[in-house]
Order: sequence, then C-alpha cells, then structure tokens
Amino acid sequence: MERIYIEHDMARFVRKDITLVDLELYDGRRFANLEPRRLFPLTGLEKYITLLDQEGKEVAVIRDLRTLPAEERKTIEECLNEYYLIPRVTQILSCREKYGVLTIKANTDRGPVSIEIRNILHGLKLLYGSRVLLRDNNDNRYEISDLNQLDRASRAMLDAFL
Amino acid sequence: MGTKKNRNQAPGKERSSPGIDEEGRVNVSFRGERLLVNKVLSSEELDRLENAIPKEEPLRFVMVGDLDGKSKYATSLLAVTDRRIYAFDRSLDQGVRSCTYEGIHRAYVKRCYGNALLIFSEDDSGKEHVDLSRNYTNFLRFSYRVASLFDAAARYIENVAAGKNPEEEMTAVQAAFEKQFSVCPRCGRTLIRPGAPCMNCQSKGKLVKKLVGYVAPYKWRLLFCIFLSVITTAVSLLPPFMTKTLVDDVLPEGNRRMLYICVALLFGSYIVQQGVGTIRAYLLRICGDRIVADLRNDVYAKAQKLPMRFYDRTSTGSVINRISGDTSNLQAFMLRITQEVVVQFFLLIGIIVIMFVLNWRLTLLSLVPVPFVVVGARIFGKKIAPFYRRIWRRWSAVSSILTDTIPGVRVIKAFTNEKRSVENFERYNGEWLKTDISASRITTLFPHIVSFVISCGSLLIWGVGGGWVIDDPTFLSAGLLVSFISYTSMFYGPVNFFANLSDSYQNALNSAERLLDILDAEPEADFAEGKHPEHLKGRIEFRNVSFSFDRSKRTLSNVNLVIEPGDIVGIVGTTGAGKSTLINLLMRYYDHYDGEIFMDGINIRDIDLEFYRSEIGYVQQEPMMFHDSIYNNIAYGCDNVQVEQVIHAADVANAHAFIARLPDGYDTLLGERGTGLSGGERQRLSIARAVLRNPSILFLDEATASVDSETESLIQDAIDRLIRGRTTLMIAHRLSTLRKANKIIVVDKGEILEMGSPEELMEKKGKYYKLVQIQTMSDQIRKTKEEERLE
Repeated sequence: MERIYIEHDMARFVRKDITLVDLELYDGRRFANLEPRRLFPLTGLEKYITLLDQEGKEVAVIRDLRTLPAEERKTIEECLNEYYLIPRVTQILSCREKYGVLTIKANTDRGPVSIEIRNILHGLKLLYGSRVLLRDNNDNRYEISDLNQLDRASRAMLDAFL
Repeated sequence: MGTKKNRNQAPGKERSSPGIDEEGRVNVSFRGERLLVNKVLSSEELDRLENAIPKEEPLRFVMVGDLDGKSKYATSLLAVTDRRIYAFDRSLDQGVRSCTYEGIHRAYVKRCYGNALLIFSEDDSGKEHVDLSRNYTNFLRFSYRVASLFDAAARYIENVAAGKNPEEEMTAVQAAFEKQFSVCPRCGRTLIRPGAPCMNCQSKGKLVKKLVGYVAPYKWRLLFCIFLSVITTAVSLLPPFMTKTLVDDVLPEGNRRMLYICVALLFGSYIVQQGVGTIRAYLLRICGDRIVADLRNDVYAKAQKLPMRFYDRTSTGSVINRISGDTSNLQAFMLRITQEVVVQFFLLIGIIVIMFVLNWRLTLLSLVPVPFVVVGARIFGKKIAPFYRRIWRRWSAVSSILTDTIPGVRVIKAFTNEKRSVENFERYNGEWLKTDISASRITTLFPHIVSFVISCGSLLIWGVGGGWVIDDPTFLSAGLLVSFISYTSMFYGPVNFFANLSDSYQNALNSAERLLDILDAEPEADFAEGKHPEHLKGRIEFRNVSFSFDRSKRTLSNVNLVIEPGDIVGIVGTTGAGKSTLINLLMRYYDHYDGEIFMDGINIRDIDLEFYRSEIGYVQQEPMMFHDSIYNNIAYGCDNVQVEQVIHAADVANAHAFIARLPDGYDTLLGERGTGLSGGERQRLSIARAVLRNPSILFLDEATASVDSETESLIQDAIDRLIRGRTTLMIAHRLSTLRKANKIIVVDKGEILEMGSPEELMEKKGKYYKLVQIQTMSDQIRKTKEEERLE
C-alpha cells in the first residue's frame, strides 16, 4: 500500500480536540479525528509525524513539520504538545541515592518535580554525550536537552550518576 | 506534596506525621467521615471540596492528580459522589467542573506519552459521523504516577453510569487505593500488603553483616594469617634499630664481633620476614579464592530466582559483569580489610611508639605532613567515587555489546555488518577508555602527591635533625638520625595505605552495592512454599485480570475466563494482542498484575511455585536448548529418569528417528543455544521434554510457527499425542493447529473478544470467522504453490 507523505502545502489541518485533527488533502480526500504521533519521539521531534485514526491505523505521515505552512505546523505542534509530556529539567536541586533509589529533585519547564529512579542503569541514559533522558519508576519521561546548559552545581550533582 | 514528604521519611517518623496512619494509609476526614483518598489534602483543598459539593451528595472517594490541564505540575482533584463527578484543576475557568453520570457511555484513561487523560464519551454507536470534540470530554490530566488509580475510577464511573450497584463497584476502587498504599515508604517498591516489611530495605542496612558472613567460615585461617603478619611486622621493625647500633656503636668502636652478630641478626630477620610472608600469602590466596567462589555461587543461585521483571530491565551483560568482575573486586577488598588494615595498624602503632622512645621532638616533626595526607585522601575519595561508577557503567555497556553480538555473529555475517559492529564496539570501548583515562589522572596523581609530601617531611627531619647532630652529637647521634629517617619512611607506609584505602573502599563499595542489588533483590514471590494440593487438575480461572509491562501501555485489560480440566483451548489473535502474556501470567513469570488467577479454585500466588511450575509443560515458540548432549537436553529438569523413558519421550515427540540417524545419537553435543539442529528438530526436542515431565497442564506457544508443512505434520502428530488428557492452552497463528481444540479464545488489544467452541464462533461470524476465512484462503494459495513447486 502506498503511504501518503505530507509535505509543504499539500494538506490542511483543523484542530478538533486536544490531541485530534481533521485532515483535508489537496486532492479533496478528507479524514476525521486523526491523532498526530511522533515516529521518533526521542531522536526526531519534528520529523516523521504519523497520523492515526481512531482504530490506530495510519492514514498519512508528515515528513517534516518544518516544511508545513506556519498555521498547519502550529496546529500539529499544539496537538503534539498535548500528547507528549517530557518535562525539560532546567535545574537540579538535589540528587540523593538511598536504598538503591535515586531521588532527583529538580525544576522543570512544567514546575518543580521529584523524580524517583529505582534502576539507575535503566532510568538514566546519556545520549550523544550531552543529552540525558530520564525515566522514573512510573515510566514518566523527563529530559535534559543539553547537560552543558545546566549550571555547574546541577551538573556536578548529576555527574556522579552518569 | 505534603504526603510525598511524609512517605519518604523513615517508618518510625512517619507514624507521627499527620494524616497517615500506622499502615501507611491516608487518614483524612471530610464532613466527619474518613475519606478515601490517596494523599493528605491541605485545608485549602478540603475547603474547595466543601464549597463545591452539596451536603446531600455523599462523597465516595477523592483522587489526587499531579498535573493541570496545561501539563504543568499542580495538584488536581477528582471527586466522585453518588450523583456527580467533579474535577478540580487550576487551569479550568472556575477551577472546577462537574458532570452527572447520565450520558456517560464510556469512561476510560487515555494513555498519552508521559501523561494520561480521564475521558468520558457519549454513546456514539449508530451515528455516522462522530464529532469527537463534542461527544468526548477530557475530564482531567495526570501523570503515570497515578494512572492505575484513575483506571479504577474510570471503571467505577462507567459501571455506575451503566446502572450497576455503586456499593459493589467500590470494592475494586478500594483495592486500587490499597495497592497505592502497599508501597514501601523508603524505596517505593510494591509490598505484599500495606505496612508489610520491605524485603529490599530490610536487608540493605546489613551490608557489613552480609559480607562478614562470607569471611566467617575462614576466620581461624585468617586469624592465623594475622598472627603471622604480626610476627613479620615486629621483625621488620628490627633493621632500622640495628642500623642505629651499627652506626653509633659498632662501627666507631671497631667491634668486629658485634658487627657479625648484627649482620647475622639482620639476616635472620630477613629470613623470618620472607619465609613467614610466603606462608601467609599462600594462606590468604586460598581463603580469598574460596570467598570469591562462595560469593559467585550465591550470586548465580540468586540470579536464577530473580523474577522476569528484573531481566526485562537489566542487561544480561551487566548481570554477567557482576558475577565475574564485582565478586573479585569485593574479595580483594575483604582481604584488605581483614588483613592489611590490622597489619598496617600494628605497624603504625609500633613505629610511633619506637619513634617516641627514640626522640619525641623528631617524632612530632615527622608527623607534620600527616594532616595534609589525611585531608588529601578525603578529597580524593570524593573525587574518585563517581569515576568508579562511571567506569563500571561504561564497562557493562561494553559487556552488553559482547553478550549481544557474539552469539548473533551469524546475523552479523549474513548482513555483512562486521565493519559496523566493530565500529560500534570501538565506540563503546572508546567511551570506557576515555572515562578510565580521566579516572587514572586522579588515581595516579594522588599517590605521587602523597609521596612528594612525605619526602618533604623527611627533608624536614634531615634539615632540623641534621642541624641538631652538628650542634650537639650527644643530644642526637648520627646513627639515631639515620634510623629515624628509616622509621619515618616506614611510618608513611601505613599512612599511605590508610589514605588510599578510601580508593579501594569506594571501588569495593560500588561492587558490593551491585552485588547486593542481585543478592538482595526480591526473588520471585513464593509466599506459599510447601503449600500445594496433591495434584493439579487444570481448572483455570482469570478474574478481572489487567496487566502492563510498564505503565505506558496496557497489555491485558480486565480479562475474565474459565477453562475446565481437560479442555483444549486455542488462543488466537493478531500479533501483540496479548496471547503470550496470558501464558506468561499463568507461568507466574510476572506477579504484579491486577485481579486474580485461580488454578483449581486456589489463587496461583498461594501455590508453591516450584510445585506449580513442575505441573506445567511449556513448549515455547523458540525452544531454548543448552550446550549439552541431546539426552541431557531432553531430560532437562527431570532427575532420576530412566534411559528408556527418555527414548520413549523422544519417540512420542517424533524425534527419535532423526536422533537415531545422528552419528553420536543421544550423545550428540549441541552447540550453544542448540546450534547444529534445525528449528523443527529443536521444536520436537522441546516437545519430548514436555512429554517426559508428564505435566497435567500444557502450554504450547506457536509450536509450528516457523517450519515447513512436512515438519509441521510431524510436530502436529507429536502434539496430538502429547495433549491427550491434559488441560492444554495453545497459541496458534495457523488455525489448522487448532483442529483438536474444543474451545477458542479470541484476544484483541489485550481484551477477550470472543470465547466459545469453534462451531459457536463460526456461527457467530465474528473475528474468529474472519480469521478462519482469511487462513483458508491463504492455505489454499500455499498448497497450490507447494504443489507447483513439487511438479
């Protein structure tokens, strides 16, 4: 089956719900209640956004959000922002390991949070030397997009566990 | 956040904290009654409830969420009364909204990424176009932390809206709350019941005691070693003293007799030092090897008992690393602690005493560098600790690659990916190298700095002491000064040792931690050891079973089913529907599911685990063979079997014929994971295994998934013989495998879609009917193709 790849101005999106859009293609085809999802939620935030219908079937794929007209792009981004919650850690207040559980108290762009990681090897991953992905005991995700952007004290606290 | 804080405190303190009772449950009252809630509410939050909820509406329960509608961290509340459902969320216009049960057709938790939504939807069946924005209400947002609690709320709301009795529905909600409280306040692990002791925390504090346990069996030998080392230490103090005698008395006086006596004494002291030292080193080596062997045995034994959940999350590389590397690390450290510490301590005291006796002024002078060395050691210890952790992590990454790629070398060759795999390995190895080099900068720098400081100390003694000798040889003789310098350099041996101890201590501590991670990890829960019925008949019942590997996706939701003894049940469904998960739960690979599973009316958690599994035969999709003979592979897990029983089992499994043709017959040695046999042959061996076990219950997981039709019929024959008279659960993609089944369960997206006899389901013309039709068509195509090929 041919996959529909959406680029540039070949589609129009109308936001229907917090995570849903309606899609109208340039050739007149319409699809209702589609959910945009990232095919690469960790490595590609703007590329390859799949559009799933209510059955979970893929209708189309947006190749690169950046090629879409500003308005369409905004619609999709708003949906994605509702669906994906990956708080960005901006400052680390304390890092304590006790009884095998690492508790990180941190400020994020979504407010202060206490992250508990039971398995440090599993829950704390360093990517490309400076990006850190955190996954807590409840499978919530957090991210430090660039370690070098953190202040010295925060970095020193986290350093021991990376 | 108040509750969170309380829960992190030690149990003793927690008891006195407001709002939490002795068993860890939240104790909040609202309008004079105890409220069912998962966190302590602030007075402000209670006021909001008070103002929004009319007095005549009895409040059933309150759930505290952690996100607002805009995905920012904030406390939100879901309050459920008999008439309405309320959401308190600061991002809402008035901070609150509510709705009645009427019109709610479905209530569910939609799991997004890192957050989830409680959604109510209207009945949209029969409507052609559904406008989701109008018919769906996104009621409240929360993180995965509380998602399972809200799952229970959604089920309650949906069922009550459908007219079910609220009192009865509350039991499930109560159970969900109970589970939230069954969490260790210290480490967050799930407990057996609220307030139960945590296996993880209990043993963690006993690190030293645990390690002592490994040393204890060798204590007499180790004590003897200490005794030997006291001798060598005492003897080693002799030479400097002899030097003083030689320089001050013997040489100036020209006393040849005394000279020879001194030389003989020195010679004797060297013999004692080296001779006794050799015996001691040999004994220590033996003790050390035994300790490390004991430790390794225990870690390996424990690794066998760990639940599947542990292995899902831990790479095999890191487990192997712990068994091989960390045990030796720890052994080295334990020997250091039990031996060197004692020896060096004696040496230190001995030298200081002698030095004070010889000259107290010089002694004080030589102590000047000590504070620098001690402070330096502390700083060093702090700096080096993270490095050891990092080095270990990098090293386990390297090991993980090894355990991953070396067994998969066929695939690498097939895809000519050798270069890439070497590059990948080099990258990880490079990471290790980088970390190790940066650590070595510190580890090599520190001892040299220490040596430098110590050397400066001896300069001080030369300078000051030498001055005294020149000024007044009667006050301080040249011989005394020389022997003093020797003692000073000896004195810094133990100082240096204790300063560096933190280094090996840190390393060992990290190793100990990782070993204890395995040794102390909760084993597979077996609360009913020794308790089991004589025999299992095989009546299987699932009651409201839900399960997820992680919280982001539900693998099974609300499964209810009954299988009678002797039933042959086919489980069908698309890939990822949850078929294998059903079997995994029945095998008790995972115990953290919601709901209950019964075997012959007994909760499977209440049956002795070993007995329970021994009653089950499991033929896996990809049968696992071990590096051993065919005979031992068939007789795997069965003690005291007769040779003929094994041959019979192989016969039943249609394996005997091909085994007989092998040059080495039953003695044929298989490679790792059974290399040397075809897939179908391995499959038949695994059936033979099951036959030999003679289980009352049998699970077959896609046993004929990847073989040609001829082998398939051989395997099918074997299976037909195997399942006779046993309760059997078969997972199959090919519906032809299920022709013996008297019951079919269709699983889809973690739910049971259809259940009944094949005839009933065919009549129903539902999903099963569709699957059969598709399969018949593809089977026909396959058959014609195969026939064409034969022609």
